[in-house]
Amino acid sequence: MNGTLCIKCKGKGLCGRPRCPILEKFKTLQSIAPVISGNSVFGASPPAIFVGSYGYPRVSAGPLIPPLAKESEAPAFEEPAAWANMQIEDIISLRSRMVRANTNFHVKDAQGKENPLLIKAQELALSRKPVDTEAWFFKTPKQELKFDAVLTPMGPSGLVKNFELAENPKVPKKVDYLAYDTDALAKDAVLELYKGDIPAEHITRLLSIGLLGKARKIVPTRWSITAVDDMAGKEFADRIKDFPWVSEIQLFSGTHFGNHFEVLILPRAYSFELIETWLPKTVWSGESSWIAEDSEGYEGKKGYSTLAGGYYAARLPVLEYLTEIKRQASVFVLREITPDYWAPLGVWVVREGMRKAMQNPPKKFDSLEAAVSDLAGRVRTPEAEWIQQAKLLSDFRFQTTLDFFFRS
Amino acid sequence: MFKAAINAELLRDAIAALAVIVDEVRFKIKPEGISVKAVDPANVAMGIFELGSSAFEEYSADESEIGVDLNKIMDLLGIADKSDTVRMELEESNHKLLIDVGGLSYTLSLLDPSTIRAEPRVPQLELPAKVVLNGADLRRAVKAAEKISDHLLMGVSEDTFYMEAKGDTDQVRLEMGRDQLIDLKAGEACSLFSLDYLTDIVKPTNKVNEVTLSLGKDFPIFIDFEIANGAGRISYLLAPRIESD
Repeated sequence: MNGTLCIKCKGKGLCGRPRCPILEKFKTLQSIAPVISGNSVFGASPPAIFVGSYGYPRVSAGPLIPPLAKESEAPAFEEPAAWANMQIEDIISLRSRMVRANTNFHVKDAQGKENPLLIKAQELALSRKPVDTEAWFFKTPKQELKFDAVLTPMGPSGLVKNFELAENPKVPKKVDYLAYDTDALAKDAVLELYKGDIPAEHITRLLSIGLLGKARKIVPTRWSITAVDDMAGKEFADRIKDFPWVSEIQLFSGTHFGNHFEVLILPRAYSFELIETWLPKTVWSGESSWIAEDSEGYEGKKGYSTLAGGYYAARLPVLEYLTEIKRQASVFVLREITPDYWAPLGVWVVREGMRKAMQNPPKKFDSLEAAVSDLAGRVRTPEAEWIQQAKLLSDFRFQTTLDFFFRS
Repeated sequence: MFKAAINAELLRDAIAALAVIVDEVRFKIKPEGISVKAVDPANVAMGIFELGSSAFEEYSADESEIGVDLNKIMDLLGIADKSDTVRMELEESNHKLLIDVGGLSYTLSLLDPSTIRAEPRVPQLELPAKVVLNGADLRRAVKAAEKISDHLLMGVSEDTFYMEAKGDTDQVRLEMGRDQLIDLKAGEACSLFSLDYLTDIVKPTNKVNEVTLSLGKDFPIFIDFEIANGAGRISYLLAPRIESD
């Protein structure tokens, strides 16, 4: 196996193998997935919906139902913010308890109104609170586990004959209003929901099941997660450009599930840079370490990041912070992935990890050198290996500004 | 009051030269012409733009200031023919600029100038060396440097002007003596500049016969050239990278 390729690919199949050998290893964990007896499942869906990307534009999609789960315990299945103190295996076993009730759709089915199973899935997606759901399968769902770089782990799945919501969904006003607004662009709808304090998971759910925008489509969950991170991030980046620069160098740091984050906020015009360093023996890196960089300048990012969904998930929380303090800054993030991150949990780890880091009180510095040497002390990868890729730090250190020449 | 007519290509080139620095600018309109001074958001590059009334086919104006989104003007001039005449008239009462070009009449909404960064002060710099060269030569050197590095070193050593870029493994150097230059004033000069900026800044110089560079040691570079047969000029000031600490 080529370690470099694996980190870039994260199970997408770039090596040409029919199955990802790294993801296959996790099959041994299948024993923690529940055994389902009979052809029907009943429980409170958190609510959660999953749309696969395999076979696009013909995809499988449907609700996730934890059998026998009560309404009070259901929200925890779909709420990354609540998993902060759990172990990786606990999260896997929690997620594996949800059974995926699939139906095959064409992504454009979202434009018609005739598919009753899609309409029921959409009703479920609208809800803010758990909804008791019953599904009848063609065959008993197999005991299995599914991992992915972007997606949160998932348990058994099967094709359904039918499913029913056993109660009415509770729909927030803002969600209701935007789901019926077919004149608003998906981008604008996402922002309005985000501003209305609708959680990212809820927005992703609406976008993926085809409830937002003008030309509606079903969108695979892995794409809609990153789309929401990107759309919200772009909006915040535009807003902070009207704010004055931060007044001093600030450094935040924190660790989440073996992912260590160092976030350096610099008094300059907006720009963002992420460096990922994967230590040997992490989930994707094999025996060698791997370092990569991606960045954007004042004008923002053109095209898709080479660091994939993690780039957008890391960018959003810093932009939320800058929007909140009404300041502009140049932001450098170093994400070091340690062997403690032994199973892929999904891109929420990055988003939540960044949020957690930004909640710690920042250290303040007079010089970039002092900040970098403090930061480097908490990172296992030697400074010499990553600093040469840090274009933003070099610009901050060496590029003068015109006001510097006013002193004479 | 502002009413003017000007060649479309001339206006497009002038606006394009400004657009490399900022997207939104304040145009100062005076009876003798229009001018702009603007810095980029990072405070690294400044553009100074002057277009005298003689550059226009018709020109009459009182003093005023308007805020303009340069991308919008570039879009509509992009459709015009090079030889077209652009007619502009300011409607002060409702903050619109009426633009007639190639039979199309645009009504362009102006920006409130107070929402755009104020005109910057221009630092008074004493730059010892001066080089006058053909714009295409400058552009060529910058293009060659881009392939190898992120930065370009520019300097004067005795009677030679040089540009040099060093990458991780490769390097490129262009030397020009007095005989290859239009003019040279020798002086101590050696400064490093980011190609992110230089690449955009030298684009408009490609068509220009004489570009004047003023340089110092670890000091900003002043790049200056005439447009519209001497009726206007564009200058840039770019802050250096200082890597020796």
